[in-house]
Amino acid sequence: MYLEVKRLKKSYGEGGSYVEVLKGVDLSVEKGVMCVIQGASGSGKSTLLHCIGGLDEAGSGSVSVDGMEICGLTPEELSDYRRANLGFVFQFYNLVPNLTVKENIQVCEYLTGSPLDLGELLDTLGLAGHQDKFPPQLSGGQQQRCAIARALIKNPKLLLCDEPTGALDSHTSREILELLEEVNRKYGTTILIVTHNNAIKQMVDQVVYLKDGQVQKNYRNETKIPAAQLEDL
Amino acid sequence: MQKILRKRIFRDLKENQFRYLALALLVVFGMYIVIGLVGAADTVIIRTAERAKANRVEDGQFAVFVPLTEKEKAFLEEEGITLEEHFYLDYALTGKSIRPEEGRGAQDAGSAGGVVLRIFSRRKNIDLVQVDSGELPKKNGEILLERRFCEEQGILIGDKITFGDRKYTVSGIGTAPDYEAALQNFSDSAVDSGRFGIGFVTEEDYRQMRDASGSISSEEYTYAYLLNGRITHQELKEKLKGLEEDGRGGLPEGLSGLAKSNGRPGPVSPSKLTRFVPAGDNPRIGSAGNDKLVDRAAGLTAGVIVLILFAYVISVFTIHSIEREARVIGTLYAMGVKRKELLRHYLTLPVILTFIAGAVGTGLGYSRLGVNTYLGESYGYFSIPKVDVVFEPYLLIYGLVVPPLATALTNYLVIQKKLARAPLALIRGEQKGDRVHTIGLSGGFVRIFRIRQLLREKRTALTLFFGMFISLLIVMLSLDCYTLCSHVKTESARDTKFAYMYTYKYPEEEVPEGGEEAVGVTMKKEVMGYEFDVTLLGIHKENPYFDAPVEEGENRVLVSSAMAQKYGIKEGDILTLLDEEKDRYYAFRVDGTVTYSAGFLAFMDIDSMRELMGEGEGYYNIVFSDHVLDIDNGRLYSVLSKEGVEKSAAVFVEQMKDMVIMLLAVSALIFGVVMYLLMKVMTDRSALSISLFKVFGYRKKEIRKLYLNGNFLVAALSALVGIPLSKAVMDLLFPYMVSNIACGINLTFSWQTYAGIFLGVLVLYGMINGILMGRVNKILPAQALKMRE
Repeated sequence: MYLEVKRLKKSYGEGGSYVEVLKGVDLSVEKGVMCVIQGASGSGKSTLLHCIGGLDEAGSGSVSVDGMEICGLTPEELSDYRRANLGFVFQFYNLVPNLTVKENIQVCEYLTGSPLDLGELLDTLGLAGHQDKFPPQLSGGQQQRCAIARALIKNPKLLLCDEPTGALDSHTSREILELLEEVNRKYGTTILIVTHNNAIKQMVDQVVYLKDGQVQKNYRNETKIPAAQLEDL
Repeated sequence: MQKILRKRIFRDLKENQFRYLALALLVVFGMYIVIGLVGAADTVIIRTAERAKANRVEDGQFAVFVPLTEKEKAFLEEEGITLEEHFYLDYALTGKSIRPEEGRGAQDAGSAGGVVLRIFSRRKNIDLVQVDSGELPKKNGEILLERRFCEEQGILIGDKITFGDRKYTVSGIGTAPDYEAALQNFSDSAVDSGRFGIGFVTEEDYRQMRDASGSISSEEYTYAYLLNGRITHQELKEKLKGLEEDGRGGLPEGLSGLAKSNGRPGPVSPSKLTRFVPAGDNPRIGSAGNDKLVDRAAGLTAGVIVLILFAYVISVFTIHSIEREARVIGTLYAMGVKRKELLRHYLTLPVILTFIAGAVGTGLGYSRLGVNTYLGESYGYFSIPKVDVVFEPYLLIYGLVVPPLATALTNYLVIQKKLARAPLALIRGEQKGDRVHTIGLSGGFVRIFRIRQLLREKRTALTLFFGMFISLLIVMLSLDCYTLCSHVKTESARDTKFAYMYTYKYPEEEVPEGGEEAVGVTMKKEVMGYEFDVTLLGIHKENPYFDAPVEEGENRVLVSSAMAQKYGIKEGDILTLLDEEKDRYYAFRVDGTVTYSAGFLAFMDIDSMRELMGEGEGYYNIVFSDHVLDIDNGRLYSVLSKEGVEKSAAVFVEQMKDMVIMLLAVSALIFGVVMYLLMKVMTDRSALSISLFKVFGYRKKEIRKLYLNGNFLVAALSALVGIPLSKAVMDLLFPYMVSNIACGINLTFSWQTYAGIFLGVLVLYGMINGILMGRVNKILPAQALKMRE
C-alpha cells in the first residue's frame, strides 16, 4: 500500500470544549490511485487530510506514506517529508500575489532536484499563455490551475487536494477535475481529494465516506467515468 | 527559490515606494547626522592632537610672582626640562582700536567695546603658532592674530589695529595650541572670541610694550615647559615651590614699590609660584578634542538607538506583510518550504534597504555637507587650524554595517516568532489566541470597539510610543541645551550685582574708595572627570553684591547656586577643595546655597578666611564696586565687568541656537515620519473591516471615530507618559554631556514649555490624522469582497 492510515485519532480542546474529530480511522490507498474523501461538515475529512499531509499532529494511531511513518516526526522532519513527497491544492489558491504565474510555480521548482519540465507543465495546465500574468489578472479557474501547477512542479508522489473546486463554478470545476485526471494519468500521481461535491466520486478509483470521525464507507469505484462526463457539478 | 522570491522584493519595493523611501530617508538622514557628527569628532580629536604635537604643545605652564632669575632658569633646565617665557600683557581695545582698511569702513570697530587683546612675544620652542594665512610678524609694527578673534572682529590680513597707543599691521592669522579654547581666564565658562583674543608680536615690540603703559593689568609671568620625560609634574612643582620669593630684582621697574604695600605682596603664596597648571588640567589645551569625546560617544550610541527604532518600524511593516500573506506562507510550508528560507526572504528587503540607505548616509556624512558642517561648529568656537578630514575605518564599518545589522537582528527577533506558527494555522488565517479576545469590557459599542482596536494594534501602539520617546529625547536634548544656556544668560545677568570686580596682583594698603574688599583664592574641585576652578571668596556679611549671610568660622561656607547644581551640593554637606599651590585640601561645612549663577563660588566670612589663609588683618586681593575705580592697571591681574559677565553668558545662547533648531527639526521629522508610517499600517490592517463597515452603512465620521480617534488616545497617552519620562532620562544624561562646561546646570522647564511640547505632539498627530483620513475615505466598500481572495 502506498498510503496506510491505522486507528488514527485526533481531538481538539479540553474539558467542556473537547471534541474528538477522528475516532480511529483506518484507510489504505494504493499508488497511482485517485481517491476522494467525502463527508458532511465536521466529519473530519479535512483533519484527516491534514494529518496525512503532516500539517496536523495525530493524537494516536499511525500514518504511513510509501513505507514512511510520519506520526511522531519533528516539525523539521515533517517539512522534509512534505518537501520530498507532497503537493497541496487548497480551495483558496494562496498564490503569491506579486509573482507571475511562472514565478509562483518556480518557487516550488527549487524544492526538488528533479522537477517536472516547466514548459510542458504550463502547456498541460493550459497556462502557457498566462505565464507572465500576476494572480490578480487571472480568473479563479486559472488561479487554481496555477496552484495545481505549483503543487505538481516538484513531481510529488502524493497530491492532496482540499476542496479544489470549492470556489469555482461548474464549468471551471470540470476543467480542474479533468486536469487532475490528466495529471494522475500522465504522471502517475496518487491524488487524495477532500470535497463536499458528491459528483466527484464518480471519476475516482476509490471513495471514502467519513461520518462523525469514522470511516463509514470505503470502496473501489468500479464504474469510474471521465471528469468530462460528470453531471451536476 | 530565493532567486524567484527576490523578484517580488523589487515589486514590493515599487508597490510601497513611498513607504520605503520615507524609511530609507530616515536612515540616510540618521546616518548622515551620526557619521557627520562622529566623523567631525574623530577629525578634531585626531588632527588637533597631531597638530599640537607638531607645534610642540607644552606639558604644562606655571606662573610666578616675579620672573625667574637666570640662575633659577638654569637650575630648572639642568633637571632636563625645556622652559620658555610666555609672558603676556592684556590690552583693552576700545571701539576705535580696530580700524579696518579703507573700503571696509562699514566695519568701524564699534563692536570692539570691552574687547581684550592678550599680547605675547613670538614663540620659538613651545606652543608654536600655526599660521593659517599670512605670516608671523617679522618686523616691528606687525602682529599675528588668533583666527577666531579675527573672524569675530572682521579683521583681515593687512588691516591695521591700534592698542596701547600704537598701530599694528596684521601680518598673519593663526592659532596657538595653548589657546585652543581661547579663554581669558581659566575659570571662564565659555570662549567669547568677540571679547577676547590673543596676538603675537616681535620680541622687540613686546619689550617696548612692557616698558610703556597702556595695558589693563600687570604683566603675567607665565612659563611654558616641556618635561622631556626627565622629571614629573609633581617634582617640578616641588622645585618651583622651593624657589624663594627673593627675586624682587625681576620686578618691572616702578613696581617694586607696589609689591611692598598691603603687608604682603599679592597672592597668598609663600613662594614665587602663583600658578602651576599641567596641560591636562588646562582648560585651554586639548579642549576641542575633549569636547568631541562626548559627541563621539553620544553620536555612536544615539545612532544605534535610532537605527533600532527604524528597524523596529520596518519590522512592523514586515509583520503586516506576513500577516497579510499568512495563507501563502502556510501553503508554501505545506509544500515543504522551510522557515529559515522564508525568514531569509523577509529579511532581505529591510537589510538591503538599510544597507543602501546607511551607505548613502555614510557617504553624505563624510561629504562636505556632513563632516565639514560639523567641523564648522568646532572652527566656530575653538581656535584650531583648518584640518583634513580623518576617515576612520571603524566609522566606515559602523555606517555600512550597523544599519543592516540592527535591522537584521531586530527583524529576526520579531519576524521569526511570526513565521514560527504551524502551517495549518497560517493557512486557516487563525489569529493567535491572546488575551485581547478574552478581556471583558463593558460600555457602549463604540467604546468597546475602540478599546479592542487599540488592543489589537498594541504592537504598533508600543512602537509609536517608542518612536515618540526617541523623538522626545531629542526634543529634550535640544530644550535642555536651550534652557541651560538661557538660564546661564538670564541668571548671570540677574545675579551679577557688581559693576566691576578688580583682582589684584599688588593690592594697595587701603581699599579704594567706593570699593568692597574681598579675599579670593582659586581652588580646584573635580566633578564627572573634569576639574574646575572654584573661588573661595571671603566677604563681609553685609556686602552689597552678594546675598550671602556668611557666619564666622574657618570651616563654614555658603556655595553659589551654580556650584550647588554642578556638584550636587546641599546644605550640611562637607565640601572639600584643593589648593594646588599649597598642595593642601580644605574641608568646609556647607551652611546653605546663595543664588549666584555666574560662577563656582564658596563664600565665607572675610576675617575667618584671612585667619584660615594666614593673612593679616585688612588683607584683601579683590575689590568689587558699582562704578569704575581709579586703580593703577599695573597692580591688577584682571578686571571683570558686569557687561563682560553678561556678554560671556549670552555667548552660550548664540552658539546653541542653530543646534537647538536643528535638533527640534530632526525630532519633528523622525516623529512625523514614524507616526505617519505606523498609523498608516494600522489603517491598512483595518482596511478590510473599514470597507465592511462602509457596506453596513457607517458614515465617514463614525468610521473615523471607530478606527482613527483611538489613535488620538495612543498619541496623547504616549505624550503624557513620554514627555516626563524623556525629560527625566535626558536630565540624567545631560550633565554628562556638558561635563566639561563650567556652569551651573539648571534644566527646569516652565509649565508652558511642557504644554508646548504636548501641543506640538497633538498638532503633528492632527496633521497626520488628516492625511490618513484621506486614505480611509478612499477605501471602497467592495474592497471587503476583493480582499477575501
